[in-house]
Amino acid sequence: MTRSLNLPRRTVLAGALIAPFVVRAQGKEPIKIGNAMPMTGSQAGYGNDFVTAMRMGVADVNAAGGIAGRPVELIALDTQAEPQLAINAVNRFIGVDKLPMFFTAWSPVVKAVAPIANREQVLEINCGANSPEIANLGDYVYTAFPLAEVDVVKLAKYTFTTLGKKRVAVLYINNDTGIDAAKLYRDTFTAAGGQIVAFETYDPKATEFTGMLLKTRAANPDMVHIHGLINDIPQVIAQMRQLGLTQRVSSYSAAYNQKLLDQLGAAAEGLIVTSLAPGVADNPRVAPYIERWKKEIGRVPNGLPYTQYQYDMVYLVKALYEHLDKKGTPATGTSLREALLAVREFDLPLTGKMIIEGHRVDKTVYLLTVEKGAYVPLATLN
Amino acid sequence: MFEPIILAQILWTGIATSSPYVLLTVGFALTLKVTGLWNFAQSGQMAIAFYAMFFALNAMAWPLVAAIAFGIVLTAGSAILVEVYGLQVLRDRRSDSLMFFIFTLILAEFIIYVITLLFGTEPETLYRSILSPVDIIGGIAISEWDKLGVTLTAGALAGLYAFMRYTKEGQFLAAVADNAKLAELYGISAQRAYRVVAVISALFIVAAMYLIGSHGGIVPNTPLELVLSAVIGTLLGGIGRVFAAAWASVFLALIQSFSILFLGSRWQNLLLYGLLFATILVFPRGVRLQRLWGR
Repeated sequence: MTRSLNLPRRTVLAGALIAPFVVRAQGKEPIKIGNAMPMTGSQAGYGNDFVTAMRMGVADVNAAGGIAGRPVELIALDTQAEPQLAINAVNRFIGVDKLPMFFTAWSPVVKAVAPIANREQVLEINCGANSPEIANLGDYVYTAFPLAEVDVVKLAKYTFTTLGKKRVAVLYINNDTGIDAAKLYRDTFTAAGGQIVAFETYDPKATEFTGMLLKTRAANPDMVHIHGLINDIPQVIAQMRQLGLTQRVSSYSAAYNQKLLDQLGAAAEGLIVTSLAPGVADNPRVAPYIERWKKEIGRVPNGLPYTQYQYDMVYLVKALYEHLDKKGTPATGTSLREALLAVREFDLPLTGKMIIEGHRVDKTVYLLTVEKGAYVPLATLN
Repeated sequence: MFEPIILAQILWTGIATSSPYVLLTVGFALTLKVTGLWNFAQSGQMAIAFYAMFFALNAMAWPLVAAIAFGIVLTAGSAILVEVYGLQVLRDRRSDSLMFFIFTLILAEFIIYVITLLFGTEPETLYRSILSPVDIIGGIAISEWDKLGVTLTAGALAGLYAFMRYTKEGQFLAAVADNAKLAELYGISAQRAYRVVAVISALFIVAAMYLIGSHGGIVPNTPLELVLSAVIGTLLGGIGRVFAAAWASVFLALIQSFSILFLGSRWQNLLLYGLLFATILVFPRGVRLQRLWGR
């Protein structure tokens, strides 16, 4: 499924003010950005908002004259967060659209398409998945999004040292999103001196978690860490509370979602989530970005921090192409990869400074907790 | 883990969470018994039931009773339409059983596809909140949802039993189930029996989808998995044995719940399908406790 680029009215008006740049940009062949995201299926709530955020980035870059005088065009294809569909999408990016690079997210998807990127020497950039294994997927697979070793490690240490929790139960989804991150949490928490009293996994299609939760209840943890997806995390927490488990819950950035608060109400109180992007108080550009969502889409985005990365990816592309333009090098998967490693440090509008360190990035982790039905800042972990 | 209170909790939640699956299994098994069809189109009716109630409650802001009534009308209506303009046409053509199977499967996919276009693919719940108030009784957590599920299911099963045993219409269903042609010789309309069973199944489906939809998120594809649980219950209970299929569903839920004492959560589905595999191989006519006891 291809989605055409629809520019919001405000952006068009802004674009008119800098018409000379735009005219110059539109006379040239567009730079196409491929984005393979789940636009249907259970993860569509996030996937569609990711694409919308990237569209906003494209609109803003085009309104400011494009990239090296060329307009930007977004090609978004649906993956349903399923590896097979993602492979089809990436084959189309490479075979039909002849793209030298593409973006994607969701750990199973990032992993599934990595062999294609490596074989075809096309640059794959993860901008939303966090499995630690993403750092080891090959020469052409990079991440602009911090992997679980960033937020999960910092969260596990914070839980032990600052919150003083000694016994934690880890519940995780049995797929690439959950398995590696849960192991990372377990290893970090244990190394810090804590005890993992329950380490339970659940099927990605499960809707009943009673057995797993009763086992957790019997283990009597001080705290419960859940590493799942937005479809299952609220159900796990709801069933936890209904079975009388009152322990504080932590999760990661997938649980930073207003819909979760709507579904759980008071049961979400005390929930700790991570955010890998600065919030309103940390970056003055974030508040106008949220306002823009409210104005153009009528609500705040699902997974706000993720969407900040999506928006910023257009500026990452801009930096890479401008680097190649200065050198007079054509854009290929190989030259873009070399540009990524050469530029290395990017100053992005919504997520701030990003330094590529091999196949990883390190970022500040912002912890938020739920108080009176809203996410409020809890701590900043550098 | 083996403390009595934990075992009692597992037993209770196992029974409570089996409620909607029991209802779906009974609807499926009853249809199979009377019509002789593995009616996979019921997964489409499950989707209609849920999204009709979802639409009525959320988009139209109708009261619960009206939303349920709307769900019943659409689900039963679609079941009758399928019966009259689909299955009966195939019967008149003397189509073989494979054709019926393919028809119901494709119809289910078609309905789910249309619902996907209408409602999208995000998980939806009937109510904004999925929490249900909980009482701790004797150390066991019992939610309002649990109580509703068990009561509704017990009531529906009792009602069906009474209908089948004490009403003329119910006895006609049994007669058609035994031998449709012979029943027609005695003046019982098989077509009418098929329509009646379609409506009864629709009622069971609406009740089940209300329970499932008020407990967790549903996407249009969810019913395709739900119908599989109904098939497993039907096979375990034995084809034609509706109430045994209901018990089989409870048994399956309890096996899954208690297995957590010995196995990790990740093995639960494997256990379920392993059990089904063994049943098909060893007990092709279902597990009959009396015979097992006799051995």
